[in-house]
Amino acid sequence: MLEVREVLKRYDGRAVVNKVTFEVGRGEIFALLGPNGAGKTTLIRMITDILKPDEGSILLGGRPVTARERNEIAYLPEERGLYRRSKTIEMIAYYGELKGLAPKVAKEKALALLDRVELQDWALKPVQSLSKGMQQKVQLCTALIGEPKLLILDEPFTGLDPINTQMFEDILAERRNAGTTVLLSTHQMNKVEQLCDRALMMNRGHMVLYGTVRDIRKRHSDHAVMVRTASKIERVEGVRSVDVTNGETKLTLEGAATPQSVLRSLLDRGVVVESFAVANLPLEDIFVKVVREGLGLDQGESGPLVEEPEMSGAAR
Amino acid sequence: MSISWGRIGTVARREFLTTVRRKAFIFTLIGTPAYFAFVMWVSTVGEMGERSKVLEELSTVGVVDSSGLFASAQHEIRTEVSPDQGNMFARKVPEGAMPVQSFTTKIRFFPDQASAESTLRAREISQMVVVSEDYLQSGRLRRYARTSSLFSSADRRTVASWLASGLVRGRVDSLLAARVARPSDREQLFTLDKQGNFELKDDRRELLDFMLPFTFAMLLGVSIVLGGQYLLQGVAEEKESRILESLLCTVSAEELMAGKLFGLGSAGLLVVGIWSAIGAVVLGPVMMLAGVHLPAGLLLIALAYFLLGYLFYGSLMTGIGAITNNMREAQQFAVWFTFLNFAPFIMITFLLGRPGAPAAVALSMFPPTAAGAMMLRLTAPNSVVPFWQLGGSLVLLAAAAWLALMGSARIFRIGLLMYGKTPTLPEIVRWARQR
Repeated sequence: MLEVREVLKRYDGRAVVNKVTFEVGRGEIFALLGPNGAGKTTLIRMITDILKPDEGSILLGGRPVTARERNEIAYLPEERGLYRRSKTIEMIAYYGELKGLAPKVAKEKALALLDRVELQDWALKPVQSLSKGMQQKVQLCTALIGEPKLLILDEPFTGLDPINTQMFEDILAERRNAGTTVLLSTHQMNKVEQLCDRALMMNRGHMVLYGTVRDIRKRHSDHAVMVRTASKIERVEGVRSVDVTNGETKLTLEGAATPQSVLRSLLDRGVVVESFAVANLPLEDIFVKVVREGLGLDQGESGPLVEEPEMSGAAR
Repeated sequence: MSISWGRIGTVARREFLTTVRRKAFIFTLIGTPAYFAFVMWVSTVGEMGERSKVLEELSTVGVVDSSGLFASAQHEIRTEVSPDQGNMFARKVPEGAMPVQSFTTKIRFFPDQASAESTLRAREISQMVVVSEDYLQSGRLRRYARTSSLFSSADRRTVASWLASGLVRGRVDSLLAARVARPSDREQLFTLDKQGNFELKDDRRELLDFMLPFTFAMLLGVSIVLGGQYLLQGVAEEKESRILESLLCTVSAEELMAGKLFGLGSAGLLVVGIWSAIGAVVLGPVMMLAGVHLPAGLLLIALAYFLLGYLFYGSLMTGIGAITNNMREAQQFAVWFTFLNFAPFIMITFLLGRPGAPAAVALSMFPPTAAGAMMLRLTAPNSVVPFWQLGGSLVLLAAAAWLALMGSARIFRIGLLMYGKTPTLPEIVRWARQR
């Protein structure tokens, strides 16, 4: 659905987006991650055709993004903004009309969307009378009214209470099922793990991680397993170290050992295993590690920096 | 760059409706003409009232005649004040429609200044005139009054008229004496018209002939500034509310700018249109009676100047809105352009007095002042503006408007998403040149 190829953007001679390449499929929820100043917003602005890349191409449905394709994109930016004096329904309908809907149809759709986000009673109220969370829901409606094929959400959950967060997640799921591609930019890694199929992480303009969320976590695991047992574990074949924390035992494996071989050894030793799981680092820890250690930043402008060559190849 | 006229229309409609529904717009629409009408009414009524008050208070004038020239002068002065003396529209009003006010001033002779002065101090007389012994040779005369009016010299004219008739009374016939007192009451001045023929100079007609296009030129300036202000306000507000990020994903910067120019320009034009309509309804009958005419060609020229002037200033205002961070900052920049737009009106005496002077021609060629300066030159009495100057001015303004539009569109696109720091001049120039 979305193909970003070797995209480069420079400001004052400095590459703020450096040969970034990735693609997102139809109906996929894709995470765009990175620390502040990584180049995410510039990349999003190029995808939405607000900025033009200096090099590379961006295709939506196989075509370069122009005015026609832009009609199929909706963007909920991190910096929320609405016309404060407008009536809520008019605000949403305005975006619908800009997306090519007839005024009457736009109003009908706006009302339906307000109904979906449980704000139907606020349709005729000015936007400025709505709470921050309500305004965020209105902003989501402005993004959804054109039934976009690509929905770009920048920190959509910030400031939402758990109930509204759940509502947003449900709406995302509905859109995904309807075939909408979602590009989600967030610092809430738990949401990425929960909602996204794949992720791209940028740092200082470079792409430093790219793949499925599961693979990324697997790649960055520290080759360990977590075991819950009442027995005391001392020496196990293939295990380098044993750490017990809060009743859970972490077994760090030696290079050649596998979780299966260690489990077999434990059972052979008569250990009663209550639970056994491969220890994966949370995405948040991976994020911090990659940024702190500057992983993947040493290849200059020669090309996208990805950790596994086959992933990079697939992306291209 | 592909432009969608549908989106431009949607933006224009929203901008127009949002603006005209605002309370501030309604206030501007009604409040401004009401304010000017009030000011005019107060000044006209005030002037008339002041003259009447001065003449009313001039009930008795004491005269100390050391020359003996006024021994046979009249002991009473009658002064009539007709409304047309204070109101430029009144001459064409049917006779009898407005009453003529009549005032009588008594003359009381005193043998010496001391007795006259004590009577003046006792408020028994309004003023006192001391005629010197050698008045005929020297013309020396002293007038004493308790106070004097800043806004009317009706008392001086009354006394002067009495002195003139008094000097000749008894020496010539009464008709001649009356004429000496008012020698040029019915003067008719003939001046060369634009065709080189002498025509009767009608001050009121001329004033109306000038006032109407002048007002028109002023309205043009106001509408340009109003539209520009709405643009400035709109863009600055959008930037402050951070709505542009999502908006620009839906509509291009060029479409947004064009929509704003159309929508807010229409709002500015609507204001001027309604003001003109009010003016036509209120003053139309008077102007028809006065035989005032506004040539269609002049209207067309004014329309061309409005469109180009608005495009020029509107583009600049949009650019300013885009590079500044809030309304206050935007206003600080915009005030200079507003000043330029109205600069010709500051030099109105020069432009009307010497419409063919090189400086006047230069002002009408310089795009920021062209609209106002050319309209004033065109309406100046007996002014003939060569066609090449008119054409050149329009072409230069059109070129400047186009450059401003293109430059501002680029600045607009980049500036809209820049927050925090106001760009430097070199940065603005670089943006304007960026493709």
